[in-house]
Amino acid sequence: MEILRPPGAAAEVSVRTLAARPRTLRDRRVAVLDNAKPNADALLNSLADGLVRQAGVASVRRWRKPSASRPADNLEEIAAAADVVVTGSAD
Amino acid sequence: VPTVVVTTVAFEALALTAARALGLADLPRVTVPHPIGGIERGRVVAYAAAAVPRLVEALITTPAPVAAPADERVDARLEAPDGLEEFQEFVWIQGWGDGLPVLPPTPKRVERLLGSACPDDVIAILPPRPGRATRQAIAVNAALAGADAEHMPIIVAAVRAVAEPAFNLQGVLTTTHPCAPLTIVSGPVARRVGINGAENALGSGVRANAVIGRALQLVLLNVGGARPGTVDRATLGHPGKFTYCLAERADASPWAPLHADRGFAVDASCVTVCAAEAPHNVNDHGSSRPEALIAMLAGTAATLGTNHLFAGGEPLVVLGPEHAEVFARAGWSKDAVKRAFWEHARVRVDRVPAENLARFVAVRPETFRAAPPDRGVPLSACAEDVLVIVAGGAGKHSSIVPGFGWSRAVTVRIDE
Repeated sequence: MEILRPPGAAAEVSVRTLAARPRTLRDRRVAVLDNAKPNADALLNSLADGLVRQAGVASVRRWRKPSASRPADNLEEIAAAADVVVTGSAD
Repeated sequence: VPTVVVTTVAFEALALTAARALGLADLPRVTVPHPIGGIERGRVVAYAAAAVPRLVEALITTPAPVAAPADERVDARLEAPDGLEEFQEFVWIQGWGDGLPVLPPTPKRVERLLGSACPDDVIAILPPRPGRATRQAIAVNAALAGADAEHMPIIVAAVRAVAEPAFNLQGVLTTTHPCAPLTIVSGPVARRVGINGAENALGSGVRANAVIGRALQLVLLNVGGARPGTVDRATLGHPGKFTYCLAERADASPWAPLHADRGFAVDASCVTVCAAEAPHNVNDHGSSRPEALIAMLAGTAATLGTNHLFAGGEPLVVLGPEHAEVFARAGWSKDAVKRAFWEHARVRVDRVPAENLARFVAVRPETFRAAPPDRGVPLSACAEDVLVIVAGGAGKHSSIVPGFGWSRAVTVRIDE
């Protein structure tokens, strides 16, 4: 028998181009956006420390989302203050 | 800004779906073992140390483009097996079912559900996929669920409601927390369509409740793409994820209906959706005074494990008619019930074990930082955020329905 497909059509998503990556992290400013999950701060801060020690980044600044279930409200500010961003998604 | 997302392996599919929904399917991810929460921080630091070289690489390497998923490029119609049993197997393999038998969404049945309505109307765009919830796509899932044409306006209204930004559908569908949209139908349509608000209103036995709640869940599964175990990350979920719908029982309520509290005309028909846990019973065969009944309701709601403690939100109190009568006899308004519940349903800070208290301080510093041990923390920001409805049959029971917290109830009028 013929049926109609339950998922229907996907919404159109305009594909966005990722920002060009730097060739090296040396002397770059890193932003850490903590997604507010338990221990995300420990994980992301340790990763940032690793970037300082192993990749020679210039600075690390940290932000925190109000809750993991809500978008950050200060993305513009973060983008202006950083050359690269490391963030968490979900758990 | 060049960005890398860090996620545990258990949540990689969700991270990819979230990135894809933003048009950033190629956003690089670095994974670490799961879990990172609830383990010693030393182990988390070790995971990070091991991931630093991959993080450096991801930050300086241009990722390869990622192809769109296959299901985005197919026809609306397809051939399915004729036999009902083979059809079940087919639907299950496609990932379109909830595990219970479904009915075939044939063009003829879908047409009957649509009636004269325009099939191409876009009712909502549903995360996390994101999918286009056209009237037809909703009808296809309503057909799967076993719904009839008279249920459609309510199902469509429920889809519209969950898609309101305040509901935070992305969070509701993808969280590890066990919440499901609870559809509360209030107003004359509930009686007309036969939605149960009396005995066993939150249980089985009435078709309208079963198919309306189930249709909404199937829309969220198929159109929204919230597949359990991959993108729907619920640790345990709850049985309401099969279907979760009841009517408010207007004939046994001493007060105005729920939708009237929320700004709609008293005689309107509305759905209100809440991101709800399973109901938790309040057995009170003793109280004849409202204060005593409040103590029982509040004592059942104020638990250590509720999201409301650190996320706020809107706890729902479903009063059985005989409990509502206790308040009515004493002349209490619904607002008085809300206020008394809000004042008494509190968790003392010194009941919270240390590690969780530290977490609550981080999540909600304004409440928990340097809080005196005898502070009672309420379950919502204010008394008005407590939701109260009357439903059920004879007997001395009510239900507390805790919520997700990071979601607000949404009420919309049903267009008939």
